[in-house]
Amino acid sequence: MAHSVEIDSKEAWGGGRSPFNLSYGKIFMWFFLVSDALTFGGLLISYGFIRHKYSEVWPKAENVFTHFPFVEQHIPLAYVGLMTFILIMSSVTMVLAVEAGHRMDKKGVIVWMFWTIVGGAAFVGSQAWEWYHFIVGTDEGALRSVWDQSVNNGAGAYVKQIWHGANMTVNEYGVPQFANYFFFITGFHGTHVFSGVVLNLIIFLNVIKGTYERRGHYEMVEKVGLYWHFVDLVWVFVFTFFYLL
Amino acid sequence: MSEFHDNYPQYEVMANHGEEEGKKNRRTLWNVFWVMLAITIFELVVGFLAPGKGWSGTLWLKTLFITLTLAKAAAIVLWFMHLKHEVKFFKWAILSPYIVFMFYTIFIVLTEGTYAGSSGKFTRVDPIFIEQQAKLKSGHHGAAAHTDDAAHTDAPADHH
Repeated sequence: MAHSVEIDSKEAWGGGRSPFNLSYGKIFMWFFLVSDALTFGGLLISYGFIRHKYSEVWPKAENVFTHFPFVEQHIPLAYVGLMTFILIMSSVTMVLAVEAGHRMDKKGVIVWMFWTIVGGAAFVGSQAWEWYHFIVGTDEGALRSVWDQSVNNGAGAYVKQIWHGANMTVNEYGVPQFANYFFFITGFHGTHVFSGVVLNLIIFLNVIKGTYERRGHYEMVEKVGLYWHFVDLVWVFVFTFFYLL
Repeated sequence: MSEFHDNYPQYEVMANHGEEEGKKNRRTLWNVFWVMLAITIFELVVGFLAPGKGWSGTLWLKTLFITLTLAKAAAIVLWFMHLKHEVKFFKWAILSPYIVFMFYTIFIVLTEGTYAGSSGKFTRVDPIFIEQQAKLKSGHHGAAAHTDDAAHTDAPADHH
């Protein structure tokens, strides 16, 4: 918690100390997260405009994302809900790891960070599974006009055919932009999750080695925890804008 | 290993606390988690029921989802990321760009966003969608609109 310390103004403005009672590293991580959030914000706003433009023909997410592993029936949004739960849980385990670090409880940090990494890896794996099913598509498919270069003596033309799955130019669910935004936004977010898992793993190994015990504080766990919470935060927004609205 | 040190005592160590305070913190954190879980389940249930009850696309539904999302985001930032307990100036240094950004975005979308849906002129778009849109605009909802979409358009009714 913030310790309120009495400092006279000459010392406060005298230089040679990090502001806000925070170390430089933590302040940097916060400002990096602000900039990254603006990047995601830009993507989501552009998604909003395009979705509004095509609002009559934009597919309903609860009709597209109905698959659940090992289950035959179509359960709308169930797997995405599970993914959200896993990611929020991993955020909880991360904050518990940070709290354990504040008590210099090395074993606690190890246990909670382990579960955070497991949760993150499960999320990335689930996202990959979702992409697989999105790309492969359903048996029914949909009628689409697909560009065929071999028609018209090589001049090419649009040919109506039943299309299955999705790629960057045509998908069975709706307008091409639906798939484009799905891949880009969830992919960009997934990259952040993956890099977060890698960073968590590195810090986890450092905790086991005892680097932070020697240092006297577990602030590195806190900094990497901030990044992890940011990743969770972005998912909360992506989940709402892409799947619910 | 040499680290950069201020003249001032290290903030990192100042943040450490004992078991007593740790227990209180943990209880608060778990409470925040339960609240977020409740909100998410509520959102999913509403999202699940929406098509069947004709709530889809309504303004109040969208406002509800966005408000709940902002509530969850606030919970994560303030408690999990600890921003609530930081020095006030720092908290506002991080939050005010967002608050300004949000209001500005809403303003711009409302005033300048009309071009996105007005003419409905699609360029180089699958003619199937233009047909669909024309049919919808002329009021032919129902069968015509659904034949070309993914076959699961009527999933809740068909498969349950």
